[in-house]
Amino acid sequence: MKIAYTHHFGLPLDAVWKGIQDEEVLKKAIPGCQAFSQVEENVYHAEMGISVGPVKGMFTGQVRQADQEEPFFYRLFVKGKGAPGEIDAVAEMKLEEEDTGVKLTCTAEVQVTGVLASVGQRVMGGVAKLVIGQFFKTAEKEMGQMFSHS
Amino acid sequence: MANMIGTPVKRKEDPRLLTGNGMFTDDMKLPGMLHAAFLRSPFAHAKIVRIDTETAKQYPGVIAVFTGADLIGKVKPVPTMWYVPGADLKAKDRSPLALEKVLYAGEAVAVVVAEDRYIARDALELISVDYEELPAVTHQEKALQEGAPLVHDDVPQNLALLWKAGEVPDEAFEQAEVVVRQRLYNQRVIPNPMETRAAVAQFNPGSGEMTIWCTSQNPHIHRMIYSGVLGIPESKLRIVAPDVGGGFGAKIATYTEEAVVGHAARELRRPVKWVEERREHFMATTHARDEVIEVELAGKKDGTFTALRVKNTANLGAYLSTFGGGCPTIDFGLMITGAYHIPQAAVVTYGVYTNTTPTDAYRGAGKPEATFQIERIVDLFARKVGMDPLEVRRKNLIPKESFPYTTAMGLLYDSGNYELTLEKALEAVDYEALRKEQEELRAQGKLIGIGFSTYVELCGFGPSKVAGAIGFQGGVWENSTVRVHPTGKVTVYTGTSPHGQGTATSFAQIVSDKLGVPIEDIELVHGDTQSISMGWGTYGSRTTAVGGAAVAIAADRVVAKAKRIAAHELEVATEDIDFAGGVFSVKGVPGREKTFQEIARSANFAWNLPDDVEPSLEAQSFFDPSNFVYPFGAHICVVEVDKDTGEVALRKYVAVDDVGKVINPLLAEGQVHGGVVQGIGQALWEGAVYSENGQLLSGTFMDYTMPKARFFPRVEWHFTETPSPVNPLGAKGIGETGTTAAPPAVVNAVMDALQPFGVDDLDMPLTPEKVWKAMQNRREGI
Repeated sequence: MKIAYTHHFGLPLDAVWKGIQDEEVLKKAIPGCQAFSQVEENVYHAEMGISVGPVKGMFTGQVRQADQEEPFFYRLFVKGKGAPGEIDAVAEMKLEEEDTGVKLTCTAEVQVTGVLASVGQRVMGGVAKLVIGQFFKTAEKEMGQMFSHS
Repeated sequence: MANMIGTPVKRKEDPRLLTGNGMFTDDMKLPGMLHAAFLRSPFAHAKIVRIDTETAKQYPGVIAVFTGADLIGKVKPVPTMWYVPGADLKAKDRSPLALEKVLYAGEAVAVVVAEDRYIARDALELISVDYEELPAVTHQEKALQEGAPLVHDDVPQNLALLWKAGEVPDEAFEQAEVVVRQRLYNQRVIPNPMETRAAVAQFNPGSGEMTIWCTSQNPHIHRMIYSGVLGIPESKLRIVAPDVGGGFGAKIATYTEEAVVGHAARELRRPVKWVEERREHFMATTHARDEVIEVELAGKKDGTFTALRVKNTANLGAYLSTFGGGCPTIDFGLMITGAYHIPQAAVVTYGVYTNTTPTDAYRGAGKPEATFQIERIVDLFARKVGMDPLEVRRKNLIPKESFPYTTAMGLLYDSGNYELTLEKALEAVDYEALRKEQEELRAQGKLIGIGFSTYVELCGFGPSKVAGAIGFQGGVWENSTVRVHPTGKVTVYTGTSPHGQGTATSFAQIVSDKLGVPIEDIELVHGDTQSISMGWGTYGSRTTAVGGAAVAIAADRVVAKAKRIAAHELEVATEDIDFAGGVFSVKGVPGREKTFQEIARSANFAWNLPDDVEPSLEAQSFFDPSNFVYPFGAHICVVEVDKDTGEVALRKYVAVDDVGKVINPLLAEGQVHGGVVQGIGQALWEGAVYSENGQLLSGTFMDYTMPKARFFPRVEWHFTETPSPVNPLGAKGIGETGTTAAPPAVVNAVMDALQPFGVDDLDMPLTPEKVWKAMQNRREGI
């Protein structure tokens, strides 16, 4: 399944570039995040609760950032596993400078299995957009605080 | 009491079932009973790298967790039971729980046994499995291509079987005046009985005896197979199918879960219950159809058919299910010529493994697909030669003088009067007026379509020697005992295993007519391998034609014995005894008589029997018919297609069926009604959808459209009765006629409605989107 999402940040480009890959920001911004820790450079271990329509459960997985072209592009690989199934996603994150800040376009290809696929598939697109929107909103808030402190 | 046969008697079963006094497998409660839940693969194709069950085992209330490795040597793989001959069959037995690899999403990899079913389900989440995902293939044609992922490493091209029958020289097509060709897709459907599968197993460690109560259509077949799988002799294994809430074929197959539950009960020495959830059912219980059918029909410009050639590429799923190999070959292939005289015919079937749930029998099993292709191609032929589909049918239907009729595929159709059903159906819809109305409405921009299905079906499985010749691993005769108690009450035992058909009523009607005993005094026992010595179950519309015949013969034997006892008591020769209405009387001597109940008492007390007559009054019959039976009929469907939305509305549906002698018209109508709506379901709404990587996307009732009562107009039904010479009742089979006849009737009607758009064919299900797009494409084309 393909998911595309665009968010406009009212922050300078370097703040968004740094913030969106910052461990502390990510920990706070990922919805339902229970644990988030760096395993090695650019690789994180994550535990998060997911709720897609009737499908709910804890997912444990790995998030990897790669192919960085600072400050405009990077890829995010997400592999997660939980009782309702498995998630395997690749997201391309594209940052563009705008008059008022930064436009971030996220294009993801998501594969799911198990109950997530057989039951969740139909509502997943909508839920994913909701979750991603929530993520960016919180991330922007966190980044804003970080930016004003620095 | 005479003439109960043919009377619309209300179901004896219903008061009990409707007042909540049924006893289904999930109603079983045994002291100390544990509950099982299965962990299922989220992947369609993956290597199992590691399974960690430790955390689950520690969970409070969990008694045991088993994986495939734990069952090696204890539960053997479950075999397929239809070894289609001459097909280079590459059977793959199913391991009770997956071992190195999982081959479809939903395959069981572990089982948790716990104090209650909630704990068992919760503990499933604590099992951690590392999978290494492999490329999957779900479509049979893709699976045959070079370089496709292999489902089984040692089955090249994923080709499980290649079966051919009949021969047609190429000239028959090259030199034909008219040839029509069409590729049809009979989509995958998912049988959904009201009751999902369930099993309860109890083991007696002292005697080594095991009882498994389960949702079975054929407990004796399950006993035979599970006996081998579990290593328990048939003499110590009892299978009971208590009340079973429908099956439609999905409860014929022998699955792995029931065996695993049996093993858990043996190992843990406590009864174990498993009840399949609906979501589980969508993936774990067999699917059906899923056949790509390429058909070529040759004929003359005057509408006469001359030759038929069919290629079926069938999706068998990841394993060969119990009778999975037989459906797209024997069941389908031998019936390709349908109700028509076609001098030459040939069929080839490619049976293909894919990373999907295995397919097996489903209400009709091969015959709906056979009927679909012939009824569709007949309509396309009519279009090509510019004739009304009715006229083409009239021209080619096997005439009634030709019965018994041997088809090009070598089957012997027992009896028939095809024109009669067709004429009756035409009369019921007022065909000429309807065509006129269609034309008028078309002028007003309304799209009405009329579709025919003049079908014939192969039922009443069947002669056992034929079963042997076609590789069916079992017999298909039937067994019945009619036991008369001292008070004259009767218990009837049958080896068939009804699961919602109302057989306790219809068999009681047969016995009531024979013995002159009211049907209230007749009880039917079925579905228990301990009460019934042997039997082959309920499928292939064999219950009445084979099982009912055995009942009738056993009842006749009871009467013969009772007559001798009556003659002895009345002091006349047996030939001088008349028996009617439950009374034995002396010919020509009014008043000298004994009731059936009096003789029942005499037989059981045995105070005064003839020297050569043994005590008691019961008889058994083992009936093996000489042939299959071939019910037939004509269905006409009238639809209206909404030009703006593509929605298909059913205006009228008329079914005229000839199922030989009808035992109970109420039950027969119920079977037609249920079958027709199920068939319409396939035509318009139902369909299993897999993603490219093998995820079942239609895995709930939100995504899989199960027909609802409100979707349908009143189905109108009529019967004609052409008795079968194959059994003493003259009965054929009715359970599968609706699902066989309806899909092409509906699709033919919709294609007829879409004629102004030049649309010749659309794949089922004919959803509004698909129909709308077809009209839209055509509009754009103009």
